[in-house]
Amino acid sequence: MSNCAVIDQALLARELDRLIRRAVVNISADTRQLLEEALERETKPTARGMLQSMLENTRMAREGNMPVCQSPGYPTVYVRFGDACLPGKLADMLGAGVVQATAEGLLRPSIVHPLTRKNSGDNSGEGVPNYEWSYEPALDYLEIIASLKGCGAELGNAMRIMTVPQLGKQNRGLKNFVLDTVIEAGGKPCPPVGIGIGIGGQMDVAAKLSRKAISTRLWTDNHPDPLYRQLEEELLQEINALGLGAAGVGGETYALAVKIGAAATHTAIAPVAINFHCWVTRRGGVRIWPDGRVEDLF
Amino acid sequence: MQTIYLQTPIQKDAIEALHVGDSVYITGRIFTSRDMGHLRIQGLLEGGQALPEDLEGSAVFHAGPVVEKEGEGYKLRVIGPTTSIRMEPYAQMVGELGVRAIIGKGGMAAETLANAAKYKYVYLQAAPGCAVQLAAGVKAVERVHWLDLGVPEAMWVLDVKDFGPLVVAMDAHGKSLYDDVRANARAEKARIAAGDGAGE
Repeated sequence: MSNCAVIDQALLARELDRLIRRAVVNISADTRQLLEEALERETKPTARGMLQSMLENTRMAREGNMPVCQSPGYPTVYVRFGDACLPGKLADMLGAGVVQATAEGLLRPSIVHPLTRKNSGDNSGEGVPNYEWSYEPALDYLEIIASLKGCGAELGNAMRIMTVPQLGKQNRGLKNFVLDTVIEAGGKPCPPVGIGIGIGGQMDVAAKLSRKAISTRLWTDNHPDPLYRQLEEELLQEINALGLGAAGVGGETYALAVKIGAAATHTAIAPVAINFHCWVTRRGGVRIWPDGRVEDLF
Repeated sequence: MQTIYLQTPIQKDAIEALHVGDSVYITGRIFTSRDMGHLRIQGLLEGGQALPEDLEGSAVFHAGPVVEKEGEGYKLRVIGPTTSIRMEPYAQMVGELGVRAIIGKGGMAAETLANAAKYKYVYLQAAPGCAVQLAAGVKAVERVHWLDLGVPEAMWVLDVKDFGPLVVAMDAHGKSLYDDVRANARAEKARIAAGDGAGE
């Protein structure tokens, strides 16, 4: 452990501040590109109007330094670190940064007690932001991806502990579960959406994989495993063939991306979690090296 | 499909002239209300108490804004629709209050469709996530009630001009754009599932 070092905390503080501000007023470039492509393909006037509003809104937010959506969503932060770049007080600083951004009118105060519904007034709260730490001893940089995911989208989510017979031939049962969930969700999750699908583990593992897949992967990337890549492509095609469209008012593109996160599971079960992400992909990602180098991810 | 400019208070006959697919812009006054606001309205009505605003002829927006304190009042930064289905249990209540237009996203269900026809109101879909664009139609924050519920859940009274674009997604004639789209989607799903030759 003699080579352990905490990353420069002043540099980290500056980068976290920049990351939050960037994430609030922007959607990530991959999503913007997919929205533009969806508009080019769209033939239905109402859906075209919705997509045009989304692209126009994105431009207005960026140019006016305004929050792209009124809802700040719920913050989950994915952190990868190694021995040479320990995060130090990252969580304290990021939590304080969210409170500061709220005070400046960049984020609406929206975090409440889960039962009394009392609003903390500054987006602080027990367990908020949520952190997913990944310790990879040999990693030579600190990676932070902060994702502000909208909560209307959460209303469409579904989770099932499937069984082998339920998976069906060629995963038809799994695909039907996804399609049924999409039809039920309709316009609720602010389509065009990205859909994260967690497969494997137990309930908790599948649920976390679903959120991570759609929050940390570029929506334009390809899964490295051909099996999952094919399933992602087939699901995307089938979902859009349903014709639900932008805002759920009917059209060519309901989903911009399907991203699968998988883990091995027990022979008795086949857990599947389906996680919607609205088109407003507010996420900031950065890698910081011990020598002070910085690289933006989104 | 037509483009209609509505002025609040909205009259019943203006609502009856609207059909699914029409575009609407609203000028006048709109009220925000979401989960906790609707719950409080229900509580006041059940207790026989007065509401702080007369909602006859009104447009109710399922939304919570981002605001800045400005002197004694507030300045609106951005505002956009929240997911409306959560307010489905209040379909009859809003009808009885004389609300003529509900603005939100994602659509509502059978109770709303039935009460929209009975009491004459419409459901208007705003472009989801388009909070900066929609805020351009808000001239001022007139006042706010129930800030004890927190900024998102308080009732914000907004002075609006050509607020929109909004799409009539559920009309007062029993038609729902979402039902049509969903029925088509179910048929398409059955076709896809059958094509693969194996059910669940």
